[in-house]
Amino acid sequence: MSKKYIDIKKIKKRILLEKIAKALIVLFVAVIPSIPIWLMYLGLIAQAFSSKVTLGIIPNGFTLKNWRFLWSTIQMGLKKYPNIWPITINSLYLALGTALLVTFVAGLAGYALSRMEFRGRTKMMEFILALHAFPSIVLLIALFVLLNKLGLYGRGFITLTGVMITKAALEAPMGAWIMKGFFDNVPWDIEWAALVDGCNRLTAWRKVILPLVLPGFAAVAVFAFLAGWAEFIMAFTFIREDRWWPLSVMIYHVIGEYKFVDWGFLAALSLFYALPTIIFFVFSQKLLLRIYVGGVKG
Amino acid sequence: MPSLKNLPRKILPWIFLAPLLFMIILFWLVPVGLTVFLSFTNVTYKNFVKFVHGVEGAFNFTLENFHKLLGGDPYIGEIAKITLIYVGSVLAINAFYSLILSISIVYLVKNEYLSTFMRVVWLLPRITPAVVYGFLWIWLISPDTGPFYQFFASLGVAPGSWLLEKPYSQILMIVVNGYVGASFGMIIYTSAIKSIPEDLIRAAKVDGASDLQIIRSIILPLLKWPMLFVISWQTLSLIASYEQILILWGSYGATKAAGTTVFAIYAWFKAFEMGEYAYGATVSLVLVAIGIVLILLYFKIFGFHKLMQPSKIEV
Amino acid sequence: MVSVKLDKVSKYFGKVKAVDDVTLYIRDGEFVTLLGPSGCGKTTTLLMIAGIYKPTKGRIYFDDIDVTDIPPKDRNVGMVFQSYALYPHMTVYNNIAFPLKLKKLPKNEIDKKVREVAKLLKIDHLLDRKPSQLSGGQQQRVALARALVKEPDVLLLDEPLSNLDALLRVYMRAELKRLQKTLGITAIYVTHDQIEALSMSDRIVVMNNGRIQQTGTPDEIYSKPSNTFVASFIGTPPMNLIPCRVIDGKTLECLGFKYVFKDEIAEKILNEHKEVYFGIRPEDIVITNKDNGDAEATILVVEPIGKDLVITIQLEEEHTIKILAPPSINLKPGDKIYLKFKKEKIHLFDKKTGQRIEYIIKKGEE
Repeated sequence: MSKKYIDIKKIKKRILLEKIAKALIVLFVAVIPSIPIWLMYLGLIAQAFSSKVTLGIIPNGFTLKNWRFLWSTIQMGLKKYPNIWPITINSLYLALGTALLVTFVAGLAGYALSRMEFRGRTKMMEFILALHAFPSIVLLIALFVLLNKLGLYGRGFITLTGVMITKAALEAPMGAWIMKGFFDNVPWDIEWAALVDGCNRLTAWRKVILPLVLPGFAAVAVFAFLAGWAEFIMAFTFIREDRWWPLSVMIYHVIGEYKFVDWGFLAALSLFYALPTIIFFVFSQKLLLRIYVGGVKG
Repeated sequence: MPSLKNLPRKILPWIFLAPLLFMIILFWLVPVGLTVFLSFTNVTYKNFVKFVHGVEGAFNFTLENFHKLLGGDPYIGEIAKITLIYVGSVLAINAFYSLILSISIVYLVKNEYLSTFMRVVWLLPRITPAVVYGFLWIWLISPDTGPFYQFFASLGVAPGSWLLEKPYSQILMIVVNGYVGASFGMIIYTSAIKSIPEDLIRAAKVDGASDLQIIRSIILPLLKWPMLFVISWQTLSLIASYEQILILWGSYGATKAAGTTVFAIYAWFKAFEMGEYAYGATVSLVLVAIGIVLILLYFKIFGFHKLMQPSKIEV
Repeated sequence: MVSVKLDKVSKYFGKVKAVDDVTLYIRDGEFVTLLGPSGCGKTTTLLMIAGIYKPTKGRIYFDDIDVTDIPPKDRNVGMVFQSYALYPHMTVYNNIAFPLKLKKLPKNEIDKKVREVAKLLKIDHLLDRKPSQLSGGQQQRVALARALVKEPDVLLLDEPLSNLDALLRVYMRAELKRLQKTLGITAIYVTHDQIEALSMSDRIVVMNNGRIQQTGTPDEIYSKPSNTFVASFIGTPPMNLIPCRVIDGKTLECLGFKYVFKDEIAEKILNEHKEVYFGIRPEDIVITNKDNGDAEATILVVEPIGKDLVITIQLEEEHTIKILAPPSINLKPGDKIYLKFKKEKIHLFDKKTGQRIEYIIKKGEE
């Protein structure tokens, strides 16, 4: 027997050292750098619900005063901001509309890309993947001109709708990719089995394929909803009338006015706005993560 | 619907694709064309309304924008430099820092729950709406209550304002975007690390490798492709990203003072703050061109199938 | 080379007892096989010996040294994985050299050893290739070379042959065995394939549900299975187990026949059991005439399997058993036949516990 491992003490010391080294790596790479993230979110919650906050994150005295925007108008000097609820409805409209459009367009296209044979199918997939990689934000100036040309600029609700359609168009290629992935995962055998069992192609679709790709539709819808909900630049650039702002734009303006003045109020407002995102994330974390991976997976 | 199946098989796919294609043409291809078109015009806020309404003689074709871009505009050089620093630094965070981050979280932290929890924490900056994330940073660095400001002040690093004093403002720009970007790399890397067959790690252990040696000789070499993918993909999105900069600084004056005017936001300011639509489009055109060239390059180098599987480990 | 001792070793994953109270002694230079169906805990046992898993309870010793808390690195074991687990980014040479590099051996020594072992396994012409450029058999040899190059005290093999095609598998069986005996290395081999186990091992450890069912030489395992699990797991086709009631100390009333022992020792033992399984291997049943027959049966299916016929017959109602017969016999489904059980090959198991009932048949009894 080799004498290498007779020195158990030495081995145990080495193991201990290795453990310490690993713990230090985790500490310095993953834990300490995450402190700002912790500070941010603990601070956000602490500020939103307390009258006074010490050291930025330790709450002191519970209050709902910061949430006054829910029942009264936000006013800063002479500047009056629109009521929060119509603004929230604008955001909901933008997000739901984007989700609906993307799901519809991506569902159809994803099915065609996955299940149908046509000339140029590979080229089409390459093209869509390329679009997905392309940073669409650089087209903003041209999109602005386009909306003007189409008569969608400066017209309140119609402009908001224009932003929604544009947002949906920019998200659609990715949605199509994700849907294609979900359709790819439905084995042909199942469709054939359904046909053999007496379904026609349409009932096979409804009874066999649709239930299998429903998570895909849900994922794309949630993803597009969150993208629409978080949309800032286009709405900020294109929508002039404050009545038709989504939450993101209003909060941006309110932050500009209130920073250094009332952090608690800003925190409450931000939390109100971020809440749907957080809720969706908590409830569909696995689904969303799959999309984040699937999204880049194409 | 039932009549659909009687349609010629050649047409049906195109009916399914039609809405997508319509969107792509109207909101992707036309804008690319428009960007090129605008670059060759003299459209500014002065003649914009006439231009939109198609009034004859509202604008002229000109090469002036390109002259400006290639020499006439004194800020272009600096902006290019800032963009380079910005893209390079954030890229380093996204590709390399997030690599060691992912290995720490997935491989070194053995407890499954703790590891998932840490991943979720690191994902927060990505999922939070940009405006809220931006607000949180403004609060963190505010001199009155911001913990971030106060921590660095206690170390003796106390600029009057993290937002306005170089190089702190530039560090801030990189850090703010770095936190968002780190999670992109993390998502790709963690799924790649998890797809390394367990036997491979076990074999290395039996062969006498310690955890750190396994990271060096097994995990890192296997993550070569995911890393290449993250670098390629993130380069594309970083050259065009300016949302956080817009939220934090908000105006050309502010970004100029802070030294955070990257190429993409410069185009935005030119168009929407100064009304120089044509010139803004020209600046954008540079990014459009870079984007197209890079994408073509990636397709050529990596091929379509590899681009579809960023976290695939070659075993 | 070392001996390996497992002392009351258990491994739990949450509530699942993957390995439950296993005690085992493997002699220096012995070839021991852990045999059992998938999920029986045999691979988990192997990984504990390797040091990858730490036992929840119990200790593991190499010779006299307690290695339970010692990492794989310091155990000097070599292991071949079912998937081979070759490092895909390294050439064959670097794969084999990897354990030596980790030991920080000088370069020329590494080179010498790699070439030696490569030659031994006849893969010296493949050293510059990547694993993906090799056939399954070649990959298997590389994995073996990597395990052997560090001159391990114990060689662990986890279903190493299961990914090879049938012909190569038979060849490698002999090759592995020869190699192990030449090197005199202690080998622990995990498989679910009883033929591999029976043909290669010095001793076999049959496992099920995380527990050892029986430990013994291939012959013991085959001819004296210690319970119904081992009896029905070993042998192709496996042993027939016919449920019987004990009428009196001598007589069993089985499904379809009565069996009378003439042995007094049998009587004594049988008195202690109410219901038993009457176990008989297919090859220990002879087709005979009515006068000599122990039981009467009807043929259901006749399947040729090469040199023999496997005949499925019905004893009573739904209960079927299998027998082996020479192909010269001309039988067809529906025929009535008479069976004679070879007396000294009859096994009895308690129906409740499944444990073997030991009894001795005196010679010349028949």
